Amino acid sequence: MPDASAVRWLCRVYSVLLYAYPRAFRLQYGGEMTQVFRDRCGYAARRQGRPRLFRFALHTAADWLSTIFQERIAALRELIVADYGRKAARLAHAVWSAGRRPQPRGFVAEWVMTIVIFLFATTTLVQAYVIPTPSMEGSLLVGDHMLVDRVAYANPGSLGSRLLPYRDVQRGDLVAFLYPEDIRQTYVKRVVGIPGDRIRLMDKQVIRNGRRLTEPYTQHIRADADAYRDNFPTRPGFFTTPRGRAMFEQCVRNGQVTVPPGALFVMGDNRDNSSDSRYWGFVPRDYVVGKPLLVYWSYDASTADLEAWSVAHVLDVGRHFFTKTRWERTFLVPRSQNAQEGGVAQ
Amino acid sequence: MSKMPLPLTPPVFHILLALADEERHGYGIMQDVARQTNDALQLGPGTLYGCLKRMLAAGLVEESDERPDPALDDERRRYYRMTALGQRTVRAEARRLAGAVSAAKARRLLDHPRPGLAGGRA
Repeated sequence: MPDASAVRWLCRVYSVLLYAYPRAFRLQYGGEMTQVFRDRCGYAARRQGRPRLFRFALHTAADWLSTIFQERIAALRELIVADYGRKAARLAHAVWSAGRRPQPRGFVAEWVMTIVIFLFATTTLVQAYVIPTPSMEGSLLVGDHMLVDRVAYANPGSLGSRLLPYRDVQRGDLVAFLYPEDIRQTYVKRVVGIPGDRIRLMDKQVIRNGRRLTEPYTQHIRADADAYRDNFPTRPGFFTTPRGRAMFEQCVRNGQVTVPPGALFVMGDNRDNSSDSRYWGFVPRDYVVGKPLLVYWSYDASTADLEAWSVAHVLDVGRHFFTKTRWERTFLVPRSQNAQEGGVAQ
Repeated sequence: MSKMPLPLTPPVFHILLALADEERHGYGIMQDVARQTNDALQLGPGTLYGCLKRMLAAGLVEESDERPDPALDDERRRYYRMTALGQRTVRAEARRLAGAVSAAKARRLLDHPRPGLAGGRA
């Protein structure tokens, strides 16, 4: 029989399609349905030829589509009718605790859906990150777990940017980006310079395009002076990476750095303790991942605990969840903040 | 158990017809319905078992323990047979349909060829 493999293939597809029916129905009749389907396909293949076989397959597909809805609605109605008899409260309870009911399918299906949605969402729309270092302290603390909106700063021209709210990165924005020295890490900093801006620091104060900035979001924790850090750009130092040196060579003129096209100059809000564009150069625009959206959980933990998974950390969370969670930061929305441009610096 | 209201849907009616003279398994019902209707009504597996489920719930059919045809049989195959209630229901439905058919005849919708027209054309 030349079409035996086609029949086998159709049967396999059909047995997978059966999973669209409600579980009870599938368990009760799925086996027989597959058998009937196999019999009918076999008959068509032997007696009626390939066109009739595929016509039957199409007919079954249409039948499948209409009856899954029919059976699902019937199953839902049974659920509602059964519960209606025992007061609406029970239904409300069933809806509320749908995930926790001891029905293996409901439980598994919900989790599968949750995971599917989670995977979809985390790869396209939002992504979760944790802040492991204090470089943004003042705005973001070590242990802030946050969601990053991956669409907001999507590359111009991408599909998402045309469908969803979008604007280009502006000065004062918080951005999450791939750390240019090691793109496996994601950093969050504040944009200080966009292409064309001329930046320098004078006694810890940023001077952008010749004007002093008053930045309400920064904090300075050290009284000591560090020429490299506080009067940037001077000359490459011990902590300057090769990318940083390239920035010094190519973009520093007359004691200020000019941001080239397609790049951003970023700094941490915790200015005296931040590894940022001063040390490793510009962030390519393409490396921007998104915009910090929301701190969904803030937990007081050490940098080491947050950078690598450890049993001790899990135990610590288990024991101190309520006391070490910074409840006041939960659902905090980090904001873009504009620096005020002051007078002209000499 | 939910009762099955008249008029029956065509698949339910034809499934009852298929089970009127003997017990059949699912594929047997499908074949017989196609025969009854000259392939006009082809039951897909979903429709077939959806109907059987509701007919079992309504008590029109029941599962049969006997295996009428052990030679051709497969252990997993289930046979269905009509209950007394099923028989009464299919009779009532057939009567209803017969009434509908005679009404259609009375309005000359079924006679072939339609005498008035045929005479006029000749």
